Amino acid sequence: MGQFLQHLVNTLILGGTYALLGIGLTLIFGIMRVVNFTHGELYAFGAYAVFALSMLLGANFFLALVLALLGGMALGALIEIVLLRPMRGADIDTTMLVMIGAWIIMQNLEMLTWGGVAKAVVTPFPEVPLVIGSVSVSYLRVFVLVMALVLIAATYFLINRTKLGKAMRATFQDADTAALMGVSINRIYTATFAIGSGLAAAAGALLGPVFLAFPTMGDLAALKSFAIVILGGLGSITGATIGGFILAFVEELGAGYVSSGYRDAMGFVIIILVLMFRPTGLFARAERIG
Amino acid sequence: MGTGRVAFITMLELHNLVCRYGKIAAVKGISLAVKRGQLVALIGANGAGKTTTLKSISGLLPPAEGQILFEGRDVTRGTARDMLSLGIAHAPEGRRVFPQMTVEENLEMGAYLRRDGRAIAQDMERVFEQFPRLAERRAQVAGTLSGGEQQMLAIGRALMSRPKLLLFDEPSLGLAPNIVERTFAIIQEIRTSGTTILMVEQNAYAALEMCDYAYLLESGSLALEGSGQQLLSNPHVRTAYLGG
Ligand SMILES: Nc1ncnc2c1ncn2[C@@H]1O[C@H](COP(=O)(O)OP(=O)(O)OP(=O)(O)O)[C@@H](O)[C@H]1O
Ligand SMILES: [Mg+2]
Repeated sequence: MGQFLQHLVNTLILGGTYALLGIGLTLIFGIMRVVNFTHGELYAFGAYAVFALSMLLGANFFLALVLALLGGMALGALIEIVLLRPMRGADIDTTMLVMIGAWIIMQNLEMLTWGGVAKAVVTPFPEVPLVIGSVSVSYLRVFVLVMALVLIAATYFLINRTKLGKAMRATFQDADTAALMGVSINRIYTATFAIGSGLAAAAGALLGPVFLAFPTMGDLAALKSFAIVILGGLGSITGATIGGFILAFVEELGAGYVSSGYRDAMGFVIIILVLMFRPTGLFARAERIG
Repeated sequence: MGTGRVAFITMLELHNLVCRYGKIAAVKGISLAVKRGQLVALIGANGAGKTTTLKSISGLLPPAEGQILFEGRDVTRGTARDMLSLGIAHAPEGRRVFPQMTVEENLEMGAYLRRDGRAIAQDMERVFEQFPRLAERRAQVAGTLSGGEQQMLAIGRALMSRPKLLLFDEPSLGLAPNIVERTFAIIQEIRTSGTTILMVEQNAYAALEMCDYAYLLESGSLALEGSGQQLLSNPHVRTAYLGG
């Protein structure tokens, strides 16, 4: 029982950041119909940004987190403007190939810049964990969960309560008609890609210090993001949120009760099962965003 | 009309407009004019290029050749956003309400470029007065409205930008006869209140009856133009479009 509780706590902590990854990817796919293979690299970018800012430049850890998020958004906006905008109207396969190219380039740049050795980030949180009964969790991990929940809530607010969010939803539902209302579709696409990328970078910035930053960390993150989005239904933010927690839960159980080696295989298992039995995702009603 | 407005008597002019999808020209060099305060009809068979013409006027489809003038200004290269801010609203074919947004949100989208919050709220109330059925359904998502209600919403949404020129693409499409009649009555009211209208219609008889001037489009070219009455009495129009 105690062990199961521990798994539940771990699920919450991991699930929050997984949800961020999933929301970011599903927003981009839902609104732009772009399969974003650079998503994992933005996650890695977030982790390395925190490492570079706090460990190399001596910036305050919390400031480094904020800057990693903003940097991720800027990088996402750049990718959208430089790579995707010129290809507007190209078919989805062409766009996918370009994004795969960008993914490979970004990963190799990380390798070149940081080398193959994993980097650790020291945080201002105490080393001794918080122990409640049989459950023990580090302060850093609690902080990670809180920050993830804050960002999830902020994204919901943005999409459902702001003018930009309304324009994003309109673009998702009918881009031509949104343009007739005066929405600048290019700007919405750039904003969407920036927000989605910022969420991935934030996830990396939060989990980087928990684990380590290493050049291929983005691959697993990308895979997991895809699993979450497929699980939650393409374009569904709520689905991605729940999907993030489900993936974390399944991983915890897989690692805890089967073998720790199977943790990262769980994403694949989920993708296969969902595609076999419920290809629209667990939570897909009609296509919608929000 | 005062002399100061002389330059504005012609609100919209198309000169030799050519529109292509890839290599295929859907509109092959048409010229037409819409004067301030008029209701102008654009009629023609399926695939004649009516929707394409409206799309290029509203900036959705940049023309391949030719010129679009609005209030004397060359706006040929304008984006949809530019055209809307100049005062051209487009109620597209098939209504195209945002299905997962509420009635209110759809109307707010119509006022997307406006910054005058209080006037927007007043305009929305005016739309609700004009369309009481929408008022009852403010918070309902538009996808669940009936076809007639969606058409009212599409019209209300187009009015929310306070347009000078309103483009209607087949406003009667797929509606029950009594709703069609109501829709045409509303369009006439909008014209009476001072908004200029360019309307595409399959229902040639109704369109010619209510318009000031009409153009007949056949395979991307203008075949005829004249007052509604002139076209109604034209033998070709009678046999081909009015069923003899
Ligand atoms: N997106 C598109 N891509 C390629 N061809 C198109 C596209 N839209 C329209 N066309 C073609 O352009 C021509 C004119 O189409 P358009 O929609 O303007 O006709 P229309 O007069 O509005 O017809 P309808 O009365 O059926 O609405 C048609 O031959 C049509 O097949
Ligand atoms: Mg048409």
